Amino acid sequence: MTKNFFEVKNVDFNVSGKTKVKNVSFSIKNEGDVICLLGPSGIGKTTILRTIAGLEKINNGSIELNNKMLSSKTINVEPENRNISLAFQDNSLFPHYTVEKNILLGAERNKGKKDKKISLKEIVDLLDIFHILNKYPHQISAGEAQRASLARSLITQPDLLLLDEPLSNVDQSFKEEIQVRLKKILNKLKITTIIVTHDSYEAFYLGSKCGIIINQELKQFDDPYKVYHFPNSVEVVNFLNRGILIPAKVTGKNTLESWDLGTIEGNFIKEYPKGSNVQLLLQPEDLEHDDKSNLKLEVVDRKFRGTNFIYTLKTPSNTLIPVFVHSHHIHQHEVEEKFGIKRPIHIDHIVCF
Amino acid sequence: MKFNSWYLSSFLISFFVLIPIITVFTSFFESTSNYYEILKNTFLIEYIFNSVALLISVLICTFLLGTGTAYLVSFYQFPGSNFFKWALILSFAVPPYIYAYSLTAFFENYGTAFTILKSLFGDANYNKSIPKFDGMFGAIISISFSLFAYVYILVRASFLYQSQNLIDLGKNLGFSKFKSFYKIILPAARPAIVAGLSLVAMETLAEFGAVDFFSINTLTTGIYNSWITFDDLAFANRISFFLLLFIFSLFILENLSRRKAKYHFNSRGGFKQKEKLELSGNKSVLAFVGCFFVFFMSFLFPLSQMLYWTIKFPENLFDLQVIDLLLNTLYLVFLSSLVLIMFSLLSNYGNRVSNNKTLNILSTLSISGYAIPGVILAIAFITFIAWFDENIIKSLGFLSIKKIFIGSILGLVLVYFVRFYSLAFNGIKSGYEKINISVDESAYLLGFSKRKTFMNIHVPFLRNSLLFIVILISLEIVRELPITLILRPFNFETFATTAYISASEDLLEAAAVPSLFLILIASFFIMVTSRYILRESND
Repeated sequence: MTKNFFEVKNVDFNVSGKTKVKNVSFSIKNEGDVICLLGPSGIGKTTILRTIAGLEKINNGSIELNNKMLSSKTINVEPENRNISLAFQDNSLFPHYTVEKNILLGAERNKGKKDKKISLKEIVDLLDIFHILNKYPHQISAGEAQRASLARSLITQPDLLLLDEPLSNVDQSFKEEIQVRLKKILNKLKITTIIVTHDSYEAFYLGSKCGIIINQELKQFDDPYKVYHFPNSVEVVNFLNRGILIPAKVTGKNTLESWDLGTIEGNFIKEYPKGSNVQLLLQPEDLEHDDKSNLKLEVVDRKFRGTNFIYTLKTPSNTLIPVFVHSHHIHQHEVEEKFGIKRPIHIDHIVCF
Repeated sequence: MKFNSWYLSSFLISFFVLIPIITVFTSFFESTSNYYEILKNTFLIEYIFNSVALLISVLICTFLLGTGTAYLVSFYQFPGSNFFKWALILSFAVPPYIYAYSLTAFFENYGTAFTILKSLFGDANYNKSIPKFDGMFGAIISISFSLFAYVYILVRASFLYQSQNLIDLGKNLGFSKFKSFYKIILPAARPAIVAGLSLVAMETLAEFGAVDFFSINTLTTGIYNSWITFDDLAFANRISFFLLLFIFSLFILENLSRRKAKYHFNSRGGFKQKEKLELSGNKSVLAFVGCFFVFFMSFLFPLSQMLYWTIKFPENLFDLQVIDLLLNTLYLVFLSSLVLIMFSLLSNYGNRVSNNKTLNILSTLSISGYAIPGVILAIAFITFIAWFDENIIKSLGFLSIKKIFIGSILGLVLVYFVRFYSLAFNGIKSGYEKINISVDESAYLLGFSKRKTFMNIHVPFLRNSLLFIVILISLEIVRELPITLILRPFNFETFATTAYISASEDLLEAAAVPSLFLILIASFFIMVTSRYILRESND
């Protein structure tokens, strides 16, 4: 069995004597992989990064990087000796140095390295921070400070890069572009990276694996597609907030019956005995709109999301279900109007709890 | 908990600063001479009564002077308002004892007032009609005009950060200007007022020069006399103990209110810059006259009195070894600043990296040094050295160390260190508060050691704060009297001690020249730092 490049084994993550996340285990198989940790605010994501960086200690379990033990009950390599870079969420630039000097201080770490994969100019261009190079941290915006901090972390070419909400202060209009650039640069430099974010889209885009932290636990650690489509717990479903659970009864190998929607067909991702009462996960894209259908539900809300609408429909049992409709759809339905659902309902992968 | 070298150095520094305080408290239980019994039955009540009377009177005066002038320059535009804004802090350059000399010199029989009247109206016996500002009244005037700037600075800063929204709210509620002032503006500045008055209270209780000059028996002069006249250190410490208890309660009050004040300054959400109201006609003249009166009385009056005497008796200027005094003062300033800055930096950084509760408590206690009168500190230091010499050094068979510490520059600098440690420590601490802890962590993650982070990140960042602190320390040391008087080496004088000695020998004219130099040097330091003192550097 080949050894993982980075591994966290059975660690309780603590801050000021309080356990924030319990018994966490996950790994990064190959050097250069990017993973994301998702979770609500204050859950302990930052604590995980700080502990990996060596700024907090652990009392149990172990953290290993590239076959080197960094943290355990008895071992604690000091942060300055780990070659791990952490870009903080808040502005952690040195306030009395210009942005350029701040970044160059990061480059100092690589003075002796022959294999310099990226220059200051490349990083500056990539993150579009040329115009702020001669400015002091107090003269730039929060988003610019975050990009400058990111540049400083990247130029150190660390063995492991930790990014704490790296784009939380970046303007929405610029965020997607920066995400693309960041992905490109991480791929180019082959820097193993852990990104902490509360933005699931950012995590799904940047990470090859995603970890979901809820209620002091790492609930799921998997490919983004699987996390989204095959959530392993109700907590993950609720956190991602992209579907609802409705009661249903398993009626066959590939069918179940909902009191509100009738028969639903599809492939169960997990087997259930016939006759079991389950909670079916219904995501907005699972149902299709059909004006001609005789299954009509009342529209209670309509959200315009640019590329699509999300209609909220009320079932006879007063359950509210979301339905995705392309925004180019020929006509729109107003609140209180009836909205047809295509039958038979077919869901590609049926997730039940 | 990790006991690294940073923790240890920070712990030792804080502990050293605490020694005089511990000494005072432990000395409380030592036996005293008969002087205690005599004093207890005779003067002790008078000491306490005088201290309390002086304190209350000074608090009322400084409140009126400080808040009144701060209100005028903060809310109104009138001729000279921008000048008075900083000129009013020049009163810091005049220590109460020098003010006391000026007051006496001006109003005494055949004094400056007499000379002026005589030159204006011819020979007559004006002495009867010239009021006499001596005794308790003189002390109250001297201390109030010298210390009101504490209230002025803090209250003005508080007014500065009051949002226009607050004033508009008053208008909206239909309040008159006066009602807005006492219902809205004044309560909002209350923490600053309490903080300012607490500082005034501590300085008043610690005041030695002016009360000694006016021969008022207070607890502080009682401590000095019990040591000088009766050579009773234990009793001096016993009075100190009571005074310390009193001062500590003020210190706690001041700390509590400062915490509130800080909250107030930081809440900048929805802040709207205040619009100053332009005064015209009689109102503008009244505002000008009010501020000018305070400025004149607190600074121009003592300055011109000292200048007048220096010109009138030029021989005193030539008799005085000005260069020697200047060098002595600068020598003390240089040494003390260096020691204070170095150790306060070290202690602050030790606290920061150790992040240890015990150390935090110890540091908080150690900065109480500024609340302790110089007289107490000096005597506690002598007590400690005497005890240490007797019980440790001599029992180990070594030669006495008393001469190394008592009546030496080393001893003087060490007690200055304890006295002004809080000034340096707090100054650096407030500089450090502007450096987010993640800045340190970023440095570690860039491979910087703790030492490199300290030298390459913190010291350059704190450069301006350090310069400001050095100047504040210099200002304090130039004005300092009791510690220097008690602990200075033989034949080593400063402007302050020379002025005191001349004045105590009833040679007020001779005290004028060193006083004048002292005022000028202190004014220079104030002018250099006025921008920081007035908190306008971050505006």
